[in-house]
Amino acid sequence: MKKTKIGIPRALLYYYYFPFWLKLFDELSLEPVISDNTSRKLLDKGVKKSLSEICVPIKVIIGHVLNLDQKDVDYIFLPRFHSIRKGVVFCPKIIGLPDMIKHSLPGLEAEIIADQIDSKSDDIAQISNHQQLAEIFSIPKKEMKKALTKASNFWQRYRNLLYQGYLINDFSRLEDLEGLEKLISKFENEKKIPQSQRKEIVTPGNEEVVDIAVIGYGYNVSDQYLNMDILNKLKEMGVRIHTFSMVAAEIIEKELSKLRKPMFWEFTNKLYGAAEHYLKNDQIDGVIHLTAFGCGPDSMLGQILEIDAKEYDKAFMTLRIDEQTGESHIITRIEAFIDLLRLKKENN
Amino acid sequence: MRLSFPYMGPTIVYAKLFELLGHDVVMPPKPNKEIIDLGVKYSPEFACFPFKVITGIYLKLMDKNLDALVTSGGHGPCRAGYYGEVHKKILQDLGYDVEIIVIDSPRDDYKYFYEIVKRLKGDSSWLKVAKVIKTVYELTRAMDQIEKKIEILRAYNDQGTINRIWIKAQEEFHQIQTTAEVKEIKNKYLNKLSEFEGSIPAENERLKIGIIGEIYVVLEKSINNQVEEKVNQFGFEVERSQYLADWIRENAFPFIGKDLEEIEKKGEEFIEIEIGGHAQGNIGHAIDFKQKGFDGIIHLKPFGCLPELVSQSVMDDLSEKYEIPVLSITIDEQTADANVLTRVEAFLDMIREKKYREVM
Ligand code: SF4
Ligand code: SF4
Repeated sequence: MKKTKIGIPRALLYYYYFPFWLKLFDELSLEPVISDNTSRKLLDKGVKKSLSEICVPIKVIIGHVLNLDQKDVDYIFLPRFHSIRKGVVFCPKIIGLPDMIKHSLPGLEAEIIADQIDSKSDDIAQISNHQQLAEIFSIPKKEMKKALTKASNFWQRYRNLLYQGYLINDFSRLEDLEGLEKLISKFENEKKIPQSQRKEIVTPGNEEVVDIAVIGYGYNVSDQYLNMDILNKLKEMGVRIHTFSMVAAEIIEKELSKLRKPMFWEFTNKLYGAAEHYLKNDQIDGVIHLTAFGCGPDSMLGQILEIDAKEYDKAFMTLRIDEQTGESHIITRIEAFIDLLRLKKENN
Repeated sequence: MRLSFPYMGPTIVYAKLFELLGHDVVMPPKPNKEIIDLGVKYSPEFACFPFKVITGIYLKLMDKNLDALVTSGGHGPCRAGYYGEVHKKILQDLGYDVEIIVIDSPRDDYKYFYEIVKRLKGDSSWLKVAKVIKTVYELTRAMDQIEKKIEILRAYNDQGTINRIWIKAQEEFHQIQTTAEVKEIKNKYLNKLSEFEGSIPAENERLKIGIIGEIYVVLEKSINNQVEEKVNQFGFEVERSQYLADWIRENAFPFIGKDLEEIEKKGEEFIEIEIGGHAQGNIGHAIDFKQKGFDGIIHLKPFGCLPELVSQSVMDDLSEKYEIPVLSITIDEQTADANVLTRVEAFLDMIREKKYREVM
């Protein structure tokens, strides 16, 4: 029998959860189809079908949904991320995403699976988060539970590697489970150290290595087309890269507990906690806030970080990406930033 | 304490609340070009427009020797609940040392809420506080009742005449001390307005527009380019999805429950769960307006408003399914009055023509 094809858009929460979903669908004998990497064409389609003033990551995911629809998938998997922590929710646009997709893309042929995610932690394996999925494919509860446990365990291994200092990008180009399993085992077993932890890094002109924390949501930091591959560009310039997903949950927690009132958005809070940690950290030379045009939560976060960076006397730069940002412009800005940090370092 | 607060819609109500509790109230300035420019300058570029306006208002108040600014809080998911925290940071960074008291819901942090209420209550007894709250709440409802009439009558009468009555009413409301006085003034002005009722045409000839959107731009005329008056000017009645009472309920007395729940629930057809702001409720109101026989919807939202972008995204579908025209207007520092007027006029022309054709 032909397997049912379920499309997963390579956008937004994909970057954080994709190993979970790949494993889950495999266990359930469903065939996941991942949308193509973001490209000019894909993004343009999303842009055409969205409101112009909406943030670019939403335009991106609309492009990915359209891309999947062209791949003749039967379903599109678009969980409604509501909360993965008590009292904290996702950005309103992420919560409302399934509504936007259902009502603004009338031509869509695939059916949307939009189970609501409400969890107490980042682990989303509760059966209540997968009811619609179970119903559509008549998956018995026991089988579902088993598959979810396996998916969760697999995802934990990925998450642990991120904590150890690997980048989402070290994995995200892989979209077949087998390849991903191999890679994860390889990283776990060999004693190689992730780039962010390596002492020796070659720089083009044997200059000093610079440590930069790139503060941005997984989908901005890891979508190589959207961010003009900024991470690799930084690496080529001899930069050790640190991101929020490397910071231990307890540290983030501790930073958040110092606020009278944390923000309301899950990943914005994670970025805040991580950024505060990096701002205080002597090993970090500078912080780049990588944000998308029109991002609401980041307008608040960015303002706070900018002021705090001044207080900690840490170099800070905001890089804003949108559907038209020119590559040369970004390169010029990061080059200038890195040069400045090197100069500072050499003078010390 | 010497207090002020953001200028938002029900300024009188806020003033009254603090005055009756015995505070020294400094009236905040009404948003104008200067204030908006100031706010834009000192706010993050992508902050929502209401945030920027409030930044401007706070900065204008900085030479008034205030002990504190009082503002609303909230627990999201929208940004408004976090305004206070970020404003604190911005003012501090600019070297201003003024306290910002954020009224958060007791559900979020009971102890904090209690502390704040205790401070705002000052020397008044709890009984007095309860009375003040009742008076202020009655005041709000009375003002809403009159404003709803105004929004109808202005469509059929000289705008200046009706507006003057409204302004006078507000002035008198500003003087009240007791619930009885609120009633008295309310009746006085309802009577006055009833003299104009004869101008309202037969039901099938009335044209009605529902205004929905983000609460601040829906309520605050000084920043929404007086959309209501513009609509009235073309002979259309107006009703909004939100009034002072809604604002007060959410922002000053967060412990008072919601009404309108039934209407707002209608929004689930398009936005299945609460996503923040009033997106779902607004969609519910849009459907409700249609069911009440309204002829069109004007949807107001600040630039980049998170929840209202979601509602705007589902609006075409709603407009088609319910056969009701919708005009979305984005409000920010660059919104030009003439542009709003042209768009409103074209929209209303279209509706009038359609109605005319249907009648023929
Ligand atoms: S967090 Fe920012 S970038 Fe992400 S969906 Fe919300 S507004 Fe867009
Ligand atoms: S509802 Fe809109 S304007 Fe209000 S806080 Fe949220 S994003 Fe800002």
